[in-house]
Amino acid sequence: MTVPQSKPMHRRWFNPSIARYMEAFTTTRGIAALTAIILISALAFLAPVVFPGGYDVQSRESLRAPSFLHFFGTDELGRDLFVRSIYGLRSDLALVYFAVPVSMVAGTLLGLIGAVSPRLGSFVQRCLDIIVGFPGLILGICVVLVLGAGWTALLVVIVVSGLPGFGRLARATLLSQQQREYVIAARTLGVGKWQIMVRHILPNAVDPIIVQGAVFVVSAIFIEAALSIVGLGLQPPEPSLGTLLNNGIRYISRAPTYVLGPTVILIIVALAFSMLADALNATVNRK
Amino acid sequence: MTDIAVQSVAPLLNVEGLSASFAGRHATIRIIDNVSFEVKPRRVLGIVGESGSGKSVTVRSILDMLRNPGRVDSGTVMFNGRDLVGLPEAEMRKIRGKRIAMVFQDPQAALNPVMTVGEQIAEALVVHGASRAAARERAFELLRQVGIPDVERNFDQYPHQFSGGMRQRVVIAIALANKPSLLIADEPTTALDVTIQAQILRLLCDLKDELGLSIIMITHDMGVVAELCDDLVVMYGGRVVERGTVADVFSAPRHPYTAALLHSVPRIDSNTGSQLRAIPGSPPTPARLPSGCAFHPRCRFAVERCRSEVPRLEELAPAHSAACWVSAADRMSVPPEEEGLVRKARRTLSANPILQIEDLRTDVNRGSGSFFSKAKPIFAVDGISLEIRPGETLGLVGESGCGKSTLSRTIVGISPVAGGKITVAGRDVSAMNPEDRDTIVRTIQYVFQDPFASLNPRRSIAQSLGEALGVAGVNGEKARERSVELLLRVGLNEDFLERYPYELSGGQRQRVGIARALATEPKLLICDEPVSALDVSIQAQIINLLEELRDELGLAYLFIAHDLSVVRHISDNVAVMYLGKIVEMGTAEQVYGSPQHPYTAALISSTPEPALDARQEKIVLAGDMPSPANPPSGCRFRTRCPIGPAYFPEREICSTSSPNLKETATGQKAACHFAGTPIKAGTRDEAGNG
Repeated sequence: MTVPQSKPMHRRWFNPSIARYMEAFTTTRGIAALTAIILISALAFLAPVVFPGGYDVQSRESLRAPSFLHFFGTDELGRDLFVRSIYGLRSDLALVYFAVPVSMVAGTLLGLIGAVSPRLGSFVQRCLDIIVGFPGLILGICVVLVLGAGWTALLVVIVVSGLPGFGRLARATLLSQQQREYVIAARTLGVGKWQIMVRHILPNAVDPIIVQGAVFVVSAIFIEAALSIVGLGLQPPEPSLGTLLNNGIRYISRAPTYVLGPTVILIIVALAFSMLADALNATVNRK
Repeated sequence: MTDIAVQSVAPLLNVEGLSASFAGRHATIRIIDNVSFEVKPRRVLGIVGESGSGKSVTVRSILDMLRNPGRVDSGTVMFNGRDLVGLPEAEMRKIRGKRIAMVFQDPQAALNPVMTVGEQIAEALVVHGASRAAARERAFELLRQVGIPDVERNFDQYPHQFSGGMRQRVVIAIALANKPSLLIADEPTTALDVTIQAQILRLLCDLKDELGLSIIMITHDMGVVAELCDDLVVMYGGRVVERGTVADVFSAPRHPYTAALLHSVPRIDSNTGSQLRAIPGSPPTPARLPSGCAFHPRCRFAVERCRSEVPRLEELAPAHSAACWVSAADRMSVPPEEEGLVRKARRTLSANPILQIEDLRTDVNRGSGSFFSKAKPIFAVDGISLEIRPGETLGLVGESGCGKSTLSRTIVGISPVAGGKITVAGRDVSAMNPEDRDTIVRTIQYVFQDPFASLNPRRSIAQSLGEALGVAGVNGEKARERSVELLLRVGLNEDFLERYPYELSGGQRQRVGIARALATEPKLLICDEPVSALDVSIQAQIINLLEELRDELGLAYLFIAHDLSVVRHISDNVAVMYLGKIVEMGTAEQVYGSPQHPYTAALISSTPEPALDARQEKIVLAGDMPSPANPPSGCRFRTRCPIGPAYFPEREICSTSSPNLKETATGQKAACHFAGTPIKAGTRDEAGNG
């Protein structure tokens, strides 16, 4: 029999999904979210170019209200709050863009471990339950106590607090997919457990995990803010949205507009990522 | 049957030129086109068609219940002299449920799980203006009428406490609540087992006579039509292709599609030596309807005109119309197709079984206990022994829940063995260690029921086949070559490699499923209901393919099905299973020719035959299969047995001792204390668990 010499067998195991994610960005919501996220991220990461002076330029005009010179006003040392907010946003986004994917991947793997060993799978779930049992702030305080306040502690807190969500989503997919006939078909063919996990279960887990990832970005930023407000986040002089709010609260009676700028940025970021999650969700769940 | 009196009576429902379409984003798709038929008082009209033929849309259009974006384009629906098309919703509601009632396919979905069945029936009455007390009274009466036993107790039960057959009875009771004059039943027995189907069909038949109902019966099963219907409408591609009395259509079909449909299903009493006469191709989808006569690509009589012009429904004989250019031209009924190809000579069977099972038990409740206590074992397979030799086909029949799928899953190692021994190719694999599994994978493969569910929708056909080949150690370019070979072997071609399952029809998907099973070059295929999810006209193709593969490759099959005719057609030996045990086993001729166990006899008798001469008294089993969690003492069949203690109280042995499989006078083995006792047909019909 002659078989034409053509391309080898494809290995595109989630190509159809990627095509579907792209569809999310054809909706108004999706376009708006993506534009906002790109603009915010560009502004944040290009801050050293846009504001070459850095975030620590002091002046005598301290605790000023917003004006054309200082969009968000100035802080207690006369530093421009807009510049500090953008640099703060840079810290936050850097943190989140690194920690959230790590949490997604780790959580998914922990959730899917049950495909290889059912016992280990349920043990891991109980461990994740324990993490959920800690209120977020307590968890943060524990980690800071061990590691000391700073970047590492924040990273660990964000990654760990994301694990239960991703882990449970992945496990839910695993449990439902294991009952599917094509997974049983693969088992009767003698396909290995790891291969079944990678080929049949993981691609189905990707959809909900991605959506959850977009949702979790918002939570992660709030985790940073919450820890920083109580002084356990990034340490001065490094700005973050949370430390700015922390300082702002101290001067709330003398300069009520201090907290306004960082809050607005926080809200815009949260809205943008929520909208992204929404748009992705609508697309992947479309029948 | 077609006496003058019936012909001249004014019809109860007259549908004339009904067309409906679905408005899509890009185009409007015509679903039904110019459908006309009438329902006469006290008669049963069957509407037959495959998926996508528009039969459900037709009745939904009649009741103005088309889901958005569907709408009726034109036509009239005269019911009792009133046109229902365009009637305001408030008016329509008075007719729906009161004058015309509907019974759906899935009784589980049609009942509210948080309301007792009694309340649900009463609600149907209260909605149409009855008082609470009167409604309750009437609900009791209705439950009795549809054969629910112990009505006082069952009135306050919830739907989940009822079995499928009982639920369908409740749905029928709700439909009858307001004394409708027309009952529309949309595949009411498709989700049920044959013995329960026989109960429901008999119930509908009795109700028709008792209450003077007219019934529209939607079905895909010509056997059900032969059993119950007086008149018949055959639909294809959204159009009526043939219309007439059942007697006329069955004896002299005028449309090639009807004729092919009647001849493509295997008959329970048929000669098994020849292939089935399959209809080539697959039924069209409404969005891509062929030009002209929708059936022309699959029709062996098609002429040029069929491709371009849509044939009109023309009266070709008294009260018998068909829409076909060819039969309209020669005014003859469609001649039966020349005999199917005679099956090739079979290989001689070797003596060593490829699969041997001894006293196998499977506990389906294992691992479901809590942390502190083990769950009580439930043996869905309870002491089964059988063997299959190379090249042999063992048919395994039984109703749903009897453990046939559990048995097959235990054999391939998906469900754990609780007791007994499985020997595959001479090796004891009961321990299911990695080498055992390897032996199993290389010897036994599985063909699943639902070809859509068994193929991963995210993976192309090449990937699905590649996965199977990878297990067999074939990779890369070699795998591609082999995939093409496999596809050609099952009647597909290279073009299918890069397609995804959703691009394939049901029959094509099942072919891919078979190709995948063949990838590891197994000696035995376990086919778990391989055709029951397919359209009638496709089933014959797949059965022929399986037979061809068996004879060419010397495969052995464990063929599991609930359709007795199909099993008879393909099997050498047949085993009948009831509640985890085999009750009868022998060659197909022995088991079908002279069934020795009353359950086998009842199953054979309950199977609807697509022929009018088969209309005779049936053995209708009472009640449902008990749960395997709590099997009856002694003979497990005794609670429903027509020759057992339920009818002959002196036969106490049935309740005290469990019968063993032993050889009977006619050669096969049966597990019955009174094997071979003739059964009086038409045993009393009563639903109940004893």
